[in-house]
Amino acid sequence: MGLVESGKIPKPLTYLLNLSRRYSLWMYQWGLACCALEMASAMVSPRYDIMRLGVIPFPASPRQADLVCISGTVTDKMAPAVLRLWEQMPDPKYVISMGSCANCGGPYWDSYSVTKGVDQIIPVDVYVPGCPPRPEALLEGIVLLQEKIQNEDMATRWTGDPIVVS
Amino acid sequence: MAITERDQLNYIATQAADARVNVELETEGMTINIGPQHPATHGTLRIVARLDGEQVISADPVMGYMHRGYEKLTEVRSYPQVTTLINRIDWVGSFANEVPFILAAEQLMDIEAPERARYIRTVLFELSRIANIILFLGDMAVQLGAITPAFFAFRDREFVLNQIEAVTGGRFHPNFDRIGGLKDDLPAGWIKETKQAMDKVRTFCDQMDDLVVGNEIFLQRCVGIGVIPPSVALEYGLSGANLRSSGVDWDLRRDENIGLAYDEIDWKVWTHDDGDSFARYWVRLQETREAANIVDQLLDNIPGGPIMAKVPRIIKVPEGEAYVRTENPLGEMGYYIVSRGDTGPFRVKIRSASFSNMSITSWILRGVYVPDIITILASMYFILGDLDR
Amino acid sequence: MSSAENETPQADGAEEAAAGAEEAEEVEEAPVDEAREALVERFRSEMGEGVIEHHIEVGRDTWVRVENGSWRHAAEVAKGAMGMDYFDFLSAMDWMESPYGRSEDSSVDLALGRAEAAEVSDEIVTGYAGGDSRFQVFARLSNLVNHTSLTLKVDLPDLTVASWVEVFAGAAWHEREAWEMFGLNFEGHPSLRALYLPTDFEGHPLRKDFPLLARHVKPWPGIVDVEPMPGEDEPKEEATAEAGA
Repeated sequence: MGLVESGKIPKPLTYLLNLSRRYSLWMYQWGLACCALEMASAMVSPRYDIMRLGVIPFPASPRQADLVCISGTVTDKMAPAVLRLWEQMPDPKYVISMGSCANCGGPYWDSYSVTKGVDQIIPVDVYVPGCPPRPEALLEGIVLLQEKIQNEDMATRWTGDPIVVS
Repeated sequence: MAITERDQLNYIATQAADARVNVELETEGMTINIGPQHPATHGTLRIVARLDGEQVISADPVMGYMHRGYEKLTEVRSYPQVTTLINRIDWVGSFANEVPFILAAEQLMDIEAPERARYIRTVLFELSRIANIILFLGDMAVQLGAITPAFFAFRDREFVLNQIEAVTGGRFHPNFDRIGGLKDDLPAGWIKETKQAMDKVRTFCDQMDDLVVGNEIFLQRCVGIGVIPPSVALEYGLSGANLRSSGVDWDLRRDENIGLAYDEIDWKVWTHDDGDSFARYWVRLQETREAANIVDQLLDNIPGGPIMAKVPRIIKVPEGEAYVRTENPLGEMGYYIVSRGDTGPFRVKIRSASFSNMSITSWILRGVYVPDIITILASMYFILGDLDR
Repeated sequence: MSSAENETPQADGAEEAAAGAEEAEEVEEAPVDEAREALVERFRSEMGEGVIEHHIEVGRDTWVRVENGSWRHAAEVAKGAMGMDYFDFLSAMDWMESPYGRSEDSSVDLALGRAEAAEVSDEIVTGYAGGDSRFQVFARLSNLVNHTSLTLKVDLPDLTVASWVEVFAGAAWHEREAWEMFGLNFEGHPSLRALYLPTDFEGHPLRKDFPLLARHVKPWPGIVDVEPMPGEDEPKEEATAEAGA
């Protein structure tokens, strides 16, 4: 991709690539707690049906995924596994943090074993608030993420500084 | 009965596995790590299994990936705050988590909820049981390779969740139960809609009967797999359908009913003698039907009156200790509350069903084949929040 | 359990007198729960010595405290002679008052008069059936045939008690949990190792002197729901001012 490295991608090409990326998100489900059920409802239940947004659930491995939805409480014991999973995903990768626990610790903000927000470990693109968020809220989160992808300049994303989370 | 034969076979198989390990020229043992994130573990449980060929020599569950420290957090929260928190223990049947805690607090405060509140509590309790077990009925089939039941389960579960939401305002975590009664009364037209939802639940059960229970593959993978004899079940403190499918006729709704309206209606406790994975599925399937019947009967008999007893505005529970357990969707759930007369509990021991149910894992997985791990774990049915707390 | 059967015959006879004497001290004021009294009486006679104290909440529940040395024996007696073969749970208790109070020190909490709760006494007050040590282990057994249950308690002056694993295999996880959460030792447990927490975790979270650091960094915001209604904000402000003074 010489174009990317040169930092100049023609606008129409960017648009086309982003459009295709936007509607073929492979979403790895990282169901941890209560929110996992709402995420499963969004994926499996005919009422919500996440696939109509172009999101394909249940890839076999994080190595095939574009998007991971961290849904639920991340504990300190789980945190290394979450990081490892995220590292296995190929770039460009996106993270949705679903539910209060993954956003900031939620009701377990004072617990001795809960990580206060998954963004301490991995960068998060979209936060979906709620305890747990309704499936509709997750769908909106995905729509927001798709908007973000559509407006993304791949050149800056791919040639910019690597994402570092302290 | 068939149990003893299977028991015997299991024992012989285990012995054979042990003997093979001891022969030095045999194949090398292998350690397989299932989880922590694996679809077959219902969340984040990790099982370290040592294998000899295809047979499990020892299996050691590693948990704590969902440990959130409930028991410590209850010590720094007031009683209404604790209710909010404990909703999230068994997140699939949330309302059922609140009930034993509230009942224990009421017992210490010497308050009794009005008759109407008791009925509505019981109705919601059974609705959360249905919402919970429907998921199991679909999910167990998914673990064995059939995805359709899961679609059916999620489809029909929505109807039940709708009804719960219509009363409590929350699909998942209602936080509706109060010390002394309930937050609100039923909305208009709710009884009729709930009865329609119960019809859908019964249809779902019939579909599962056709789709799953009669399925040759399902039967082959479940019948005779993971047999738990009653004596072992008691020793490990198994409860709920796991205990009843081992032939122990014990249901807290009937045998130790505190503060709920089960005594006033006509219903049946289902048991199965085999104690295998199929029995556990079958018992839960029957229980879902029975729960729908219970809900119907309760709805017919709901008395009028207030839904809240007289309770002081700032709740302080008098000094004492109380343990109340109820038959939750997953099994026996109880709260041992120690109060010091403060606005919050001094200590709460949460006796969750999955914790005791899963403590048998190492025992039951010994000597089984690798694919059976999935069947057995699925049929034991645990929720990680309930297991790790 | 064969061992339980072995224990049973020796339990009768000699200690009955002592048990009866203790029984007389227990004066229930108003109503007497005869079934539960009989249950405790039976347990005492089966146990012989070793039962220190008991408590009955009429119509509700029964507590029995046994000596540290006879903890194992108590399980065997309950399972064998009393038929309480259903292992409900086992856990532990730290009776010390938390040095951090209830961690409710925001202005709203103080206004509600919760400041007293934060003043902590060193005295160890134990619950039903008494106790002599800071840590207690308690367990509950049920008889599914005649629907009786018993909560057994034991003192742990030197943080050690016998394990129940050989009597109730299901106690293994419960004892691991107590070991991890309270730092109590169970003699004869096959593998006491961490159940929940990561291996590098330090401390025993359920001990009362284990601080919840998040609460120390950021005080609990208090009852947010008591924000004043549009018409009535004056009294609320007064209350906060008082607490601040």
